[in-house]
Amino acid sequence: MAVGFAVGVLGVLILSHAAYSTIQYRTLLKITEEEFSGPPINVVFELLLGLVLCMWAALAVPGKVVSLPSNLDFMIFNHRGKAFPLECTLKSK
Amino acid sequence: MVSKTEEAEVNRLESQADNGGGGEWEYLSLVRKLKLRRPDKVLKHGLTILNDPKKRSSLGHDEWTLYEQVAIAAMDCHCLDVAQDCIKVLQKKFPESKRVGRLEAMLLEAKGSWAEAEKAYLSLLEDNPLDQVILKRRVALTKAQGDISGAIQRLSEYLEVFMADHEAWRELAEIYVSLQMYKQAAFCYEELILSQPMIPLYHLAYADVLYTLGGLENLQTAKKYYASTIDLTGGKNNRALFGVCLCTFAVAQLTKGRYKEDKESPELQSLAAAALEKDYKLRAPSKLSLLGSTLRSLKLSS
Repeated sequence: MAVGFAVGVLGVLILSHAAYSTIQYRTLLKITEEEFSGPPINVVFELLLGLVLCMWAALAVPGKVVSLPSNLDFMIFNHRGKAFPLECTLKSK
Repeated sequence: MVSKTEEAEVNRLESQADNGGGGEWEYLSLVRKLKLRRPDKVLKHGLTILNDPKKRSSLGHDEWTLYEQVAIAAMDCHCLDVAQDCIKVLQKKFPESKRVGRLEAMLLEAKGSWAEAEKAYLSLLEDNPLDQVILKRRVALTKAQGDISGAIQRLSEYLEVFMADHEAWRELAEIYVSLQMYKQAAFCYEELILSQPMIPLYHLAYADVLYTLGGLENLQTAKKYYASTIDLTGGKNNRALFGVCLCTFAVAQLTKGRYKEDKESPELQSLAAAALEKDYKLRAPSKLSLLGSTLRSLKLSS
């Protein structure tokens, strides 16, 4: 829980640093009067890293989700649980 | 719906089984009786029993029910090999069984072979065209493929024949809510409340739908249904307590400036606010200040 929170804070810091770098880059371009096509490649990597960290924290920090009483007659099996199958085997007779 | 004591009992048995203290069969029976959906635990503890020949033979005839329960849990956890093995065992024991046929079709559904699952269900329906469970599984199949309007159509056809099936009405209501067709959802919840007036879940859901629809009459009716939910749950349902506070606030917003008839006493909202504060103090004291500021913004707390 605390780890998730720390990761989230780190992610936000990385995103703000990327924003600051982009603003600095634009100021530099304004001085040399060049076109601003997009942020430099290292800022893009930093953005992606910040995105991954923030998303991980967003999933890890909140508590347990309680679901409504289930309607077993209509249950379907293509939910997100497909991505995390349990490791089990049935030993045959 | 599950009561607090039953829920506590299930959780106790679950933690006992998790810590290796036995009692897996009692846990699995209770989960089956209460119709809970806890596939990871059911699979783990079910396999503990099934993989141990001594425990398996001590079950006697219940062994086959356990195979069925574990097969469904395995499909839910996407352990399709386990499910396949369980179904094979059941097929050997009950070769021409419709119940096993249904499990096979569910396995095809879990694998994602929609067309084959549909064929399997249709062939099961040939012998018995009014089999409720198979018809409902067909609706679930349509829903799983993402064809929501098809699911609504099939479900409506089903309900024309089996008007008393409250699970189906509930499913239809939830589908309508997911599509934001609130008037139709309200109709479904009205059917549910008519047939089963003592279940607080339906009152609460109906009140939520009415509150979402908005408008003065709907808000006043929603407040009544939140109040009946509080009545049915003995004041324990926080969502209904919040609902009462929000409805009162929304009604006050709508009737601002107009002549207030004041036929409803303001006690209901202040009592609801007091009940919420008491519950938060007990269960989440760190959030009490947040609750206080929320209630103050709704002009309900001093």
